Amino acid sequence: MQNALSALVIHDIKNALALLEIELEQLNHHEGVPVEGQRAYRRCIELKVRLMGFLTLYKHDQSGLKPMIQEIDPLEFLEDLVEASQSVQMGKNHQGHPISVEVDLKKIKQKAAGFFDENLVELALESALNNAVRYAHREVRVWFEQEGNALTFKVFDDGTGFATEPVRRSSSSTGLGLALCEAVASAHGDGKISIESLPGEGTLFAMTLHRAG
Amino acid sequence: MNETSGMEALVRGRNAVENEYIDFGKLSALVIDDISSMRHAVRSQLQSLGINTVKLASTATEALVQVEANSFDIIVCDYNLNNVSSGQHFLEHLRTENLLSATSVFVMLTAETEYDFVASAVEFIPDDYLLKPCPEKKLRSRLTRLLDKRAFLMPVLKAINARQYDVAVRECNRLLEIAPDERRMLDVLRRKADSELAMQDYASALETFDRAASMRSDVPWIMMGQARAHYALGELEAAAKITKQLIEMNKNYVSAYELLSKISIDMDDEAGAYEYLCRSSAILPSAKRFRAVSQAAFLLGKLEEAKSNSLDAMRLSTGSMVERTGDYLSLAQVQVDLGDQKGAIETLEKTARKHGEVGLFGVAKNAILAQAYFDLGDHEKSQKLLERAKSLLANRKNSFVMTALGKSALKTGDMVLGLKMMTEAIQVSGKDEKRIARHVKKSMVDTGHDDKVLDVIDGGRKRILNLVEEANRLMRAAHFEEANLKVQEAFSIHGENLDALMTAAQLHLLWLKQGGLNDVLVERAKGYLMTLDRLLPNNQKVMNFYRFFNEIVSE
Repeated sequence: MQNALSALVIHDIKNALALLEIELEQLNHHEGVPVEGQRAYRRCIELKVRLMGFLTLYKHDQSGLKPMIQEIDPLEFLEDLVEASQSVQMGKNHQGHPISVEVDLKKIKQKAAGFFDENLVELALESALNNAVRYAHREVRVWFEQEGNALTFKVFDDGTGFATEPVRRSSSSTGLGLALCEAVASAHGDGKISIESLPGEGTLFAMTLHRAG
Repeated sequence: MNETSGMEALVRGRNAVENEYIDFGKLSALVIDDISSMRHAVRSQLQSLGINTVKLASTATEALVQVEANSFDIIVCDYNLNNVSSGQHFLEHLRTENLLSATSVFVMLTAETEYDFVASAVEFIPDDYLLKPCPEKKLRSRLTRLLDKRAFLMPVLKAINARQYDVAVRECNRLLEIAPDERRMLDVLRRKADSELAMQDYASALETFDRAASMRSDVPWIMMGQARAHYALGELEAAAKITKQLIEMNKNYVSAYELLSKISIDMDDEAGAYEYLCRSSAILPSAKRFRAVSQAAFLLGKLEEAKSNSLDAMRLSTGSMVERTGDYLSLAQVQVDLGDQKGAIETLEKTARKHGEVGLFGVAKNAILAQAYFDLGDHEKSQKLLERAKSLLANRKNSFVMTALGKSALKTGDMVLGLKMMTEAIQVSGKDEKRIARHVKKSMVDTGHDDKVLDVIDGGRKRILNLVEEANRLMRAAHFEEANLKVQEAFSIHGENLDALMTAAQLHLLWLKQGGLNDVLVERAKGYLMTLDRLLPNNQKVMNFYRFFNEIVSE
C-alpha cells in the first residue's frame, strides 16, 4: 500500500513538474521576461531531468527497466538529441571557451534499422553529453556504429590531461550519470558501457545496446 | 554563463532551426486529449510554433467529426483517451476507413505509465510517438522533421490522396532520382511499394520492397511488405518464412500474426489460423481481433471460445464507432449451437432490440431465431420466422446471411430452400470463398447433411465458372451474341461475380472494337467497368480496360 502510494505521489509530482515546464516555457515566449523567469525555466528543466534520472535508476533497482523497443533511425535520433540537448546548449555558451558538439557523419555508415527505447537512451546519452561538455577542451563528437545486432553510441571529447577516468568517476554527478547509462545499456539485451582515455587525444565514452528478440 | 543569450537560444530555438520549407503559419492542427489542461498546454505550444489554426477535441468521437470536416496538416493525439477508445484504436479506425489524408502528420502522445502497453509492433503506427508532456523544443524538432519529409514527398502524397496510384509511382521514380540520401530514398520506396500494392501490381511491389531491403536489413515495414507481396502472388511458403523471421525479431508484431493466420487459412490449416489470431488479440485486444478469433473458433467447433471472444468483441465495441450488428448474430448462432436457445433469443430480441430488422441483419436475425424456437419445440413460430426471413431477403444476395437462412431451413426440414441457399451462398462468395465454403460445410454437417456437402460446394463453384468459360470460348470465336447470353446467365446467378464481370467487360470492348460503336453496348460496357472499379479499386487490368474503352469511344 505504501509503495503504491509513493509511486502515485511521485508520478503526480513528475507530471506537475512537466506541466510547470510547459507553462514556464510558454511564459518565456513573452517580451521582456525578467531574468528570474528564465532562470526558473532552466531550473525546472534541470530538476525534471534529475528526477527522471533518479526514477529510472530507482525502477532499475526495484524491478528492472522494461524498455519499450521501437524501430528508430539512429542518425535522426542523434541529430535530434544534439539539437534539443540542454548540455549542448550549455557548452555553446561556455564562458571563455565555447564547446562545439557535432554528429560525426564521416564515422557513420548505417546498415540496419535501430531498435531501442528512445526515451531511456536519450536520458542516458544526455548525461554522457553533459559529462563530455563539462570536461571538453574545445569539441565533442558523437556517432554510432553497427555490428551484427549491436548498436554502439559513442561520445568523444577532447578533454585530456588529468581529467581521466578515475577522476571523472569520483565526481558524484558523474557517478549517478554512469550508473544510469549502465542501467539503460543493461536493459537493452545486456548491453555495456565503457570509458577509455586516449592519451593526447581525449576521452571516449561508448554505450553498446543489443537487440533482444 | 551568459544567461540571457543562453535562454534566448533555449526558448526561441526557432530562429536557430528556421526551416525554409516550412511555414508553420499556414498549417492547421488538431489536438485530441481528454484532460483539459493538457489539451490547452499542447495548443499553446503549437501556437508558439506559429500555427494559427489549432482545433481541440476531447474524445475520439469529437475528433472524428473534425477529421471528416477538415484536412489537418498535424494531428496530436493522446494515447489514453478514455475507456471506450484509445488513441491507438482511433488511429486504426482512421487508417482502415481511409479517413486520414496521406498528407496529415499524426503524432501520438503517451504517458510513461502506458509505455509498456503501446506496442510499437502494431501495423497502424503513428508518424511518431512522443512522451508527454513534451517540451516545445522537442515537439518542434520532431514536427520539423516530419514536415520536411512530407514536403519532399508532397507530389506523391497528393497523388495517393487522389487515388491516382499510377501517378504516385511515376512521381516516386522521379523523386528517387533526386533523393539526397538513403533516408529519403527509403521514404520514397515505401510510398512506391504501397502504391503498387494498391494497384494490385504485386510483382512490382515485391521488387520495390526487395530494393529497400537491400539498403536496410531488419526493417519491419520492409519485411512485412515483402511478405504481403509474396502472399498476394500466391507464394505462401515465402510469405510465411519472412513473417516468421519478423516475429523472431519482434514477438509483439501483431500484423505479422494476422498475415500468418491468413496464410494458414489458405493452407487449409484452420487450427493454425486460430492460434495466430489468439496471439494477435492477446497482444493488442480490439473488437476486430476478437471477432476474427471468434469466427475461427466457431469453425473449429470450439463453441465456448467462440462465445467468449464474441462477447469480448461486443464489450469493446458497443456504443463506439466500431459497433457491428453482426456481433449479435455470431453470438446468437453460437448460443443456439451450444444449446442455449434462451440465451440466443435474449441476445437477438432484447440486447439487439435497437437494431430492429434493418437490412440483411433482419434476415439473419429471423433465421437464427427460427433455429432457436425450433429447438425449443415451437415449430409453428419457427416456421413463421423462417418465412419472415425469406421475405426480407427478397432478391438480395449475401453469403453470410444465406448460410444462416440455409441452416435454419435444413434444421427445420425445408431441404429445398436449405440446399438452394447454401449453393447460392457459395456462388456469391467472391473473395471469401474458402471461408464461406467452411461455414457452409459446418452448417450442413451440424444439421446432418454431410452427404450433400461436396455437391453443394462444387455445384456452387462450378456453375458460374462453366458459364464464364463457355462465354470466353464463344468470345474468342467472335460469337459475341452467344457469349453475351452465357455471361448474362452467370449474372442471373450472381450479378457481381468477378470472373463474369471481367469476361463481360472484355467481351463488350471487343464487340465495340470489331462491330463498331453502338449506344447500348457502350452503356453496358460502362456499367461493367464501373462495377469492376468499385469491386476492385485501382486494379491494373481494370484500368487497362478503361484506357481501351476511352480509345474506342474517342475514335
